[in-house]
Amino acid sequence: MGANYLASLSHYVPELLACVTMFGLILIEATYKESQKERGLFFLASYLGLASIAFFLFTELQAEPLTIFTNSIIIDSFSTLSKIIMTLGTLGAVYLCSQSKDIEEHLKPEFAIMAVGVLIGGMLLSSANNMLVLFIGVETLSILSYVLASLRKGDERSSEAGLKYSLYGGISSGIMLFGLSHIFGTLGTINFTEMAIVLKSVSTVQISILLPSFLLFFAGIGYKIACVPFHMWAPDVYEGSPLPVTTFFSIVPKVAGLAALVRISTTFFSDPGALNIGWVGTLSVVAALTMTVGNISAIGQRSVKRMLAYSSISHAGMMMLGVLVISEIGTRSVLFYSITYLFMTLGAFYVVNFVNDKYGNDHFERFNGLVYRYPMMAIVMTIIMFSLAGIPPFSGFVAKFHILSAVLLKKYYVLALIAGLNSVISLYYYMKIVRLMILKPAESEESIAGFSYLNQAIVCALGIPVVFLGLFWEKVLIIADGAKVFVQ
Amino acid sequence: MQASSQLLNWILWMPFIGVIGVLLVPKSKEGLVKWWSLVNTTITFALTLVLYSKFDTTVPGMQQAFNVKFPWISNFNIFYSLGVDGISLPMIILTGLLFLICILSSWTISKQVKAYFALFLFLQTTVFGVFLSLDFFLFYVYWEVMLIPMFFLIGIWGGENREYAAVKFFLYTFFGSILMLVGMVALYYASGTGVDSFNILALQGGKFTNLTIELFGTTLSFSKLFFVFLFIGFAIKVPVFPFHTWLPHAHVQAPTAVSVILAGVLLKMGTYGFLRIAYPIFPGASVHFADAIAWLGLINVIYGAFCAMAQTDVKKLVAYSSVSHMGFVMLGLAAMTVTGMNGAVLQMFNHGTSTAMMFLLIGILYERSHHRWIVRPDGTKGFGGLYTQLPKFSIVFIIAMFASMGLPGLSGFISEALIFLGIYEKYTSITVLALLGLLLGAAYLLWMFKRMFFGDVIEECKSYTDMNAREIAFMVPLCVAVVVFGIYPAPILNIMRASVGNLVSMLANY
Repeated sequence: MGANYLASLSHYVPELLACVTMFGLILIEATYKESQKERGLFFLASYLGLASIAFFLFTELQAEPLTIFTNSIIIDSFSTLSKIIMTLGTLGAVYLCSQSKDIEEHLKPEFAIMAVGVLIGGMLLSSANNMLVLFIGVETLSILSYVLASLRKGDERSSEAGLKYSLYGGISSGIMLFGLSHIFGTLGTINFTEMAIVLKSVSTVQISILLPSFLLFFAGIGYKIACVPFHMWAPDVYEGSPLPVTTFFSIVPKVAGLAALVRISTTFFSDPGALNIGWVGTLSVVAALTMTVGNISAIGQRSVKRMLAYSSISHAGMMMLGVLVISEIGTRSVLFYSITYLFMTLGAFYVVNFVNDKYGNDHFERFNGLVYRYPMMAIVMTIIMFSLAGIPPFSGFVAKFHILSAVLLKKYYVLALIAGLNSVISLYYYMKIVRLMILKPAESEESIAGFSYLNQAIVCALGIPVVFLGLFWEKVLIIADGAKVFVQ
Repeated sequence: MQASSQLLNWILWMPFIGVIGVLLVPKSKEGLVKWWSLVNTTITFALTLVLYSKFDTTVPGMQQAFNVKFPWISNFNIFYSLGVDGISLPMIILTGLLFLICILSSWTISKQVKAYFALFLFLQTTVFGVFLSLDFFLFYVYWEVMLIPMFFLIGIWGGENREYAAVKFFLYTFFGSILMLVGMVALYYASGTGVDSFNILALQGGKFTNLTIELFGTTLSFSKLFFVFLFIGFAIKVPVFPFHTWLPHAHVQAPTAVSVILAGVLLKMGTYGFLRIAYPIFPGASVHFADAIAWLGLINVIYGAFCAMAQTDVKKLVAYSSVSHMGFVMLGLAAMTVTGMNGAVLQMFNHGTSTAMMFLLIGILYERSHHRWIVRPDGTKGFGGLYTQLPKFSIVFIIAMFASMGLPGLSGFISEALIFLGIYEKYTSITVLALLGLLLGAAYLLWMFKRMFFGDVIEECKSYTDMNAREIAFMVPLCVAVVVFGIYPAPILNIMRASVGNLVSMLANY
């Protein structure tokens, strides 16, 4: 048994590396003096750590799927790809944090440490093959997120965000656990593989218990993805948190939650029947509501950060469409969407952050005439905005096309139409910022300190995949296509 | 064989080479940017003429000699596939000609010259892409990408209310495209996701007539539902009433050259979409909805004409006259007879030239007057007695106006006559009412002419100078086209005859 565990460890290098990185960062941070401002070494270490995690994950991408730790963790190409996306998202957020003025200097290391912790939770969540591991993943992710949300200790709004987040989070974890206990009571196991086998031969009475239990269980995941009706916390948390934290929140927990949702849907609900109808029906309504509510709320925002935060809710709704079809093409479309969403979100938040640092707020007017001062930044931001709205030839369009094709394959015409109309709504507010950047004259000639040549180059580099994946998406498609959810 | 088969690629990407060239020129050398764009569009236009000379008028379908096809995204069977037939060729030549003329008319642009010409040439590539694509996905991509340069061209170089107009234009068209996207993906699955699932030609021929779909327990006809989706997508572009409300804003706010392209080429993309995609793929549904299309066309004709009559802004008047004239195209499409369809395609071409002339002339006038009021909001005359002040301008204006009115001997007459001949038997009452629209057209144009060109010369008109050599140079080709095709339309009719006949015979089976 012990030897078995040791053997399992060899397949668990990325997660272990993440733990090592986290503890290493704590130790490095401890060596700094209170008065010391520069933390070059600390950030270098965090980049190295995250990059090596990503590297190991890349090498694992082609590996055969397997389960480790007595069948409680599953490692397949789907989970590996999700982890790569999350790691890159974390890396992006940590770099943003090192450059941002929105977080006080002495709190930056804390952000990086917590972010790596959340990443570990996300990794656990995306490869859970056991209800308890899944729950531990959700909690690791959540508890550290509460700390992140209230990172700016002196700021009232930040503390409020943290409190709200933890209250909502606590309740939804409770509901989730309640659902889990019923599922365990009915099926007699918490292992996904065994559960799937038992589920094939459940009686009608059991189904009548299981269906509500699964819906209770969904509350926990839905809360992490911030889908309607569990999204109430999101605006306050996004608003109150510093910008790098918002960036982080709109990528990592969402991808982790969606990965878990994909695994649960494919493992338990792929066979037609009452359970399938109930689950897909619920997800359909939730997805449609999430898209619409996210979009409509985004229209009225004055702050670009809030606008992007709301739009990230609606994007999560879009990705849920790819989940609820429960098919390989659906999974593929979710992965493709996540990959493009990663680059678009990072690029957009980078630009917003630097403008915000300069002016102290990120109201739409701050972007007036950006093209006359920083043409490259304005062009990349324009590309990203059009891509988020789903206009070809940018990758956002291809992602949307994939989702639509997954949905229409199942002949869910109404859902496809709702998704399409939502992207029209979203174009309205994305276009607002393009309009201000390019069509309005500049308010001032002042330079923005954040747009150093290095940062401009990084933003441009984030823009490249947005264009490239819109034109030549076949290669990525093959990677995403290979990333199958392993069902035993 | 090899050389000519790359011709479509050259036509499509030549303007894009122009874009790259423009971007490489330093910002300070504005003259070089203009000359380079001019040379580039001249080459493109010459290439379209080469295509015309090599075109075989007897082939009914796509001209195999020119086809270009290779895989783009093979997982989804998406191909980069180009082709040309008798319906698209007139549009391609029109595009080549109008962009060349528009570059000349844009010579006076002084704001952000480099960006303007780069976007303008980029727009040309996307327009060619729409007319050349034989793959539905590729068609959609070009159809959408085209919105981006249009948005900026209207939004940066437009009139006072340009931002509103640009946003409205973008949102409206995007809404239509989304319906088209859903329809496209549904077609992809309905046709079995095989090699030809995005191939516009292979989807044709009414394969989906008997397919049904379930929606909340009701059974709907697949072809009728998605015909309506595609119809709305294309109708917004045409624009068909009630989807026309973006057009007056976009036209009035856009700079002259962009108005010309918008009216001359972009509106035709809507009707081209009917001819290339909606009709051939869903012939049964098209026949089923023919009555509705005819009535909508009639509303366009009459309503557009009345709206035009009420305008005090001359550019808005011409914009509404486009709504009215595109109504004739819709009538021709509803006829589904050889004569009517030929008339419709010819009208697409003729309206392209005549309305382009009108917009160019208004642009020329605007550069002198800096306003476009026929009657100012305070009730005074905006123009008066232009005829004595600007004789050359007036002569060209008369030609354009009469062409647009459909006076015999000029191009508009033939296409409108063909449309009426084609539709008369099927929709007699609509024909009679549409003839009234023709009368209204004459009324608002002549009334406008009377108010602007006759009467006393008002003080500020005395300082206007007549057209200069550059302006005459770009108006002459259009004048020639309008007169020549008014007397002898055979060159265009010959190219389209076989292809249109092919389409009509397909529709005749339903």
